Amino acid sequence: MPLNRRTVLGAGATALLASPVVSRRPLAQPARLEVAGVYSLSGTFANVGDLLNKGNTWAFEHYRTAAGVPINYTLLDDQGDPGRAVRRVQEVMAAGTRHIVGCTNSAIALAVAREVHRAGGIYIHMAGADEATGSECNRASFRWPGASFTAVNATVRPFIERNPQAKRWYTITGQYVFGESLLTNTRALLQEAGCQHLGNSYHSLSEREYSGYITAALAARPDVLAILNFGNQTVDVLRQAVSFGMKRNTKIVVPWSTGLDQYQAWGPDICDGVFFGVNYWHGVQAPGNKVIQDVVRQKTGGQTTNYLHACGWAVGQLLVEAANKAGSTDVPAMIRALEGLSYEGPTGTETVRAEDHQVIKDYYLMLGKPRSRMADRDDFAEVLAGTKAFQPPDRTGCRMA
Amino acid sequence: MSAQLLLFQLLNGLGIGMIYFLLSVGLTMIFGLMGFVNFAHGAFYLVAAYAAYSVSLLTGSMLWALLLGPLAAGAVALASERLLLRRTYALPHEAQILVTFALSLILQETVILVFDPLSKNVPVPDFLSGIVFLGDFVYPAYRLAVVGVAAAVALAMWLALERTRFGAILRAGSESAEMVSLLGVDVGRVFMAAFALGGALAGLAGALAAPLRGVEPFMGLEALGVAFVVVVVGGIGSFAGALLGGLLIGVVQSVMSSLWPEGARLMIYAAMAFVLLARPAGLLGRA
Repeated sequence: MPLNRRTVLGAGATALLASPVVSRRPLAQPARLEVAGVYSLSGTFANVGDLLNKGNTWAFEHYRTAAGVPINYTLLDDQGDPGRAVRRVQEVMAAGTRHIVGCTNSAIALAVAREVHRAGGIYIHMAGADEATGSECNRASFRWPGASFTAVNATVRPFIERNPQAKRWYTITGQYVFGESLLTNTRALLQEAGCQHLGNSYHSLSEREYSGYITAALAARPDVLAILNFGNQTVDVLRQAVSFGMKRNTKIVVPWSTGLDQYQAWGPDICDGVFFGVNYWHGVQAPGNKVIQDVVRQKTGGQTTNYLHACGWAVGQLLVEAANKAGSTDVPAMIRALEGLSYEGPTGTETVRAEDHQVIKDYYLMLGKPRSRMADRDDFAEVLAGTKAFQPPDRTGCRMA
Repeated sequence: MSAQLLLFQLLNGLGIGMIYFLLSVGLTMIFGLMGFVNFAHGAFYLVAAYAAYSVSLLTGSMLWALLLGPLAAGAVALASERLLLRRTYALPHEAQILVTFALSLILQETVILVFDPLSKNVPVPDFLSGIVFLGDFVYPAYRLAVVGVAAAVALAMWLALERTRFGAILRAGSESAEMVSLLGVDVGRVFMAAFALGGALAGLAGALAAPLRGVEPFMGLEALGVAFVVVVVGGIGSFAGALLGGLLIGVVQSVMSSLWPEGARLMIYAAMAFVLLARPAGLLGRA
């Protein structure tokens, strides 16, 4: 074959393309890791979105890099609407972002989880519905807080053990994915424990006046009222139930509470004697908790860390831990790294279960203290039990896609 | 539903209705007298609730909070009217809606900046912290006091509008501002006073509601929705209509909480639709 200029250039170009330097370029680490956070800054859950986002932002500011790559964080307002959340996520993923975190609302998180999985990203969220690590689980999605199964089994079960005489239950439930999930688990547990479920009042997500539901609950004369919801509606239902004198001869259980921020919203007189389930408590002695508390105190001028701070922090920390373990920000590598990962989280040593991508961690049953027993202004409740109450992997319904 | 539960829900509904009346009476007054669509009404409710929260925190006195909250809302309403809203009186309703809605968002975001987005507790005054037994029916003493205040406001408003010179001027101004002006009355000042009074009434509702439901930055927009339903059901601009509309909506909501709990909120809008179908101007509105 004659050697001419064209042949030399062609061979050179082929060699160059095949060379390790060039062939590795697409696999090389990007200059920075683009992460998008999905939070409600407007709409029904806007009251919690800001603080979740702050916790998340502070985590990224604290860690600065993931697998040695600087983190660039973008906030997306989901407006409390699954459709809008998915559109915002599609926009950032179309622009190249593959790492998504955030969102407490189950309907939104489930929709975003499907989209991120479809588009080849990784998603770490804080929604509570069982489906997220059950029937709707997927390879790309991970959940930090306990599921509604956890909330009910770590609160209602120990409550029944401590109060065997309290047999007659009434429930007030927010009618949406998460409320329904809490109700299903509560009904199953009450049946298992031989308790009577006298009735349930659903209310819509737009409801703010609960006296009618509480009147119905009072008329049923239950031993226990369980409030099955999340956020401001839980705050309002409990406040109004107490104002109607329900604590006189009825015990009140709130299986899913955000803890300190809600206790502050209620004040000690309402919290006193009420049983709460929480995912996080600042009083827990754990190295990971100390790190968060130091950062939150520094960022807020001395405030105590609440669940919203901690939850936002936790999803950020998980993303960083995954990248550091993988040594890469590559999505499949991070997913592999997360499966089975153990790390020092806000509640102690936490582990990501490979089978359903659920973080296995303590969930706490707390009892509100009387004002006279509060050691400081944030000492609203005592921890009665800390339980890792998760469904066995073979019963979650998760078939990893 | 048993007869006893129905009776409980009716009584509770009347209580809710009086609270809704208090919430909406300022809105219907401003629209009825001035023909002005005030989407900032909920924001005045919000301002008063946060003012009450702040005063209770600083002084520990809910009575001062209940007094100063409405005054703060009235002052904000007065300033808004003088500096901004009076420039929109001659504009179409769409412009008034746009400006007042913007004002409400600005006030809401200011509250978030000054405080934070989380709900805050406002304590019930100690002497009203118990419950009252009406036979088997249990009712919070504070709610009962709020119902009493709402009834007193209804009476005072009726007397002020029907039996005082100021009320006569307001009613005349709502019929023909030009004619009242020709008779030597400074209509601008009258409207300013009416707007401040409407804001203070929203504020009274906000301050009284604070111990019932706590305070949080989005409570104003929620209150606005209910207030508009009550005003539309009662008849826009009708003082007695606001009372009747509030009671009707309260009873519907409370009774439906037992009959069809998940649809109780929806039913207040269904009730509004039924009323509008039967009486397009509302129960006591003028066609």
